[in-house]
Amino acid sequence: MSDFAAHFSPLLLLSIFLAGSLAGALGALLGIGGGVFLVPFLTLALGIDSRYAIPISLSTVIATSTVVSAGTAGRQLINLRLGMVLEVATAAGGLLGGLTFQYIPTSTLFIAFGGVTALSGVTMLGRLNKRNVILDTTIDPGRLGGRYHEEESGGTVVYRVRRMPAALAASFVAGNVSSILGIGGGIIKVPVLNAWCGVPLRAAAATSAFMIGVTATAGVVIHYGQGRLVPSLAAAAVLGVRAGSFGGLHFGGRARAQWLKLLMAGVLFVVSVLMFVKGLQ
Amino acid sequence: VTDGDPGLETLLGRVLNAGSIGSTVLLALGLLVVFVAPGAAPERWLLHAGLVVLMGTPMVRVFVSVLEYARQRDWTFVTLTLIVLTLLAASVVAAFSA
Repeated sequence: MSDFAAHFSPLLLLSIFLAGSLAGALGALLGIGGGVFLVPFLTLALGIDSRYAIPISLSTVIATSTVVSAGTAGRQLINLRLGMVLEVATAAGGLLGGLTFQYIPTSTLFIAFGGVTALSGVTMLGRLNKRNVILDTTIDPGRLGGRYHEEESGGTVVYRVRRMPAALAASFVAGNVSSILGIGGGIIKVPVLNAWCGVPLRAAAATSAFMIGVTATAGVVIHYGQGRLVPSLAAAAVLGVRAGSFGGLHFGGRARAQWLKLLMAGVLFVVSVLMFVKGLQ
Repeated sequence: VTDGDPGLETLLGRVLNAGSIGSTVLLALGLLVVFVAPGAAPERWLLHAGLVVLMGTPMVRVFVSVLEYARQRDWTFVTLTLIVLTLLAASVVAAFSA
């Protein structure tokens, strides 16, 4: 480990910074975390061992969660109560993933990642034209539901949370997958919250982004303590993701992202195949 | 209850913003040292401090939530956020005991 952590060429650090920027910009434009792009880039393109690439990606998940939530706080999109309840499940999942990580074979990591990228691609295609807004303000949101003002339609969206056991189960699995694969886990939580639990897409995404900081922390602290989080590489990736997501939000946030989603779904399917091939080698 | 908690949301937003700025500055300075004077002493502690602030930010955010829910006497959410804080503390213990 100390050999690996010793010194890195400025070129490698720059490459990681650029990979982080790209992942951050895509994440911001597409409304997903950048982990699904960052891990394949670090492992497949830069040849970094997945044992080290996954913790690096996880540290960028915290960075993304922190920045995005600081930016959305105050607009009441984040459902704090729902988030804090689900964090119990997601932190438990993250902790368990961090503890079992070292016993999972690398080939299994690649195959699982291939499955997750394929799932991301399918989700992205499914969201091409989706609008999930119900303007019925007479609903009683209950103790865990929410209410927020939608800027696009100018109306108030009120929703009730249904099927809490499904939300808790999805959060536990998301936390577990997060610390094992270095992604935020929104790819699992957001569709479940949206499709099964009645949470509008924007609120589901904002609440998930708020939670993944805690999820990733539960996992990454263990990686850090066991020497798998290489500081200079993590710093390059975190700064890259920060720069990229800033750029993505400020220059492309208003642009129609449909063609980009289609393109990225294609990229994710290719990555998925590459991951499967590497896992089965 | 149903209209969320704008006060808490804003407060947590400030915590996250401060942690975000702090970790970015420390990591950027650390990386600068890596480029300018590789292997110099400040490199290690700047990078490690940056990572600790990064990982500490969500923990502080949960801790502030515990305090705020206690102030509101909302014991259900005090309990829930305390469980999350305990899980995070357990990961710190697990990280440095292996």
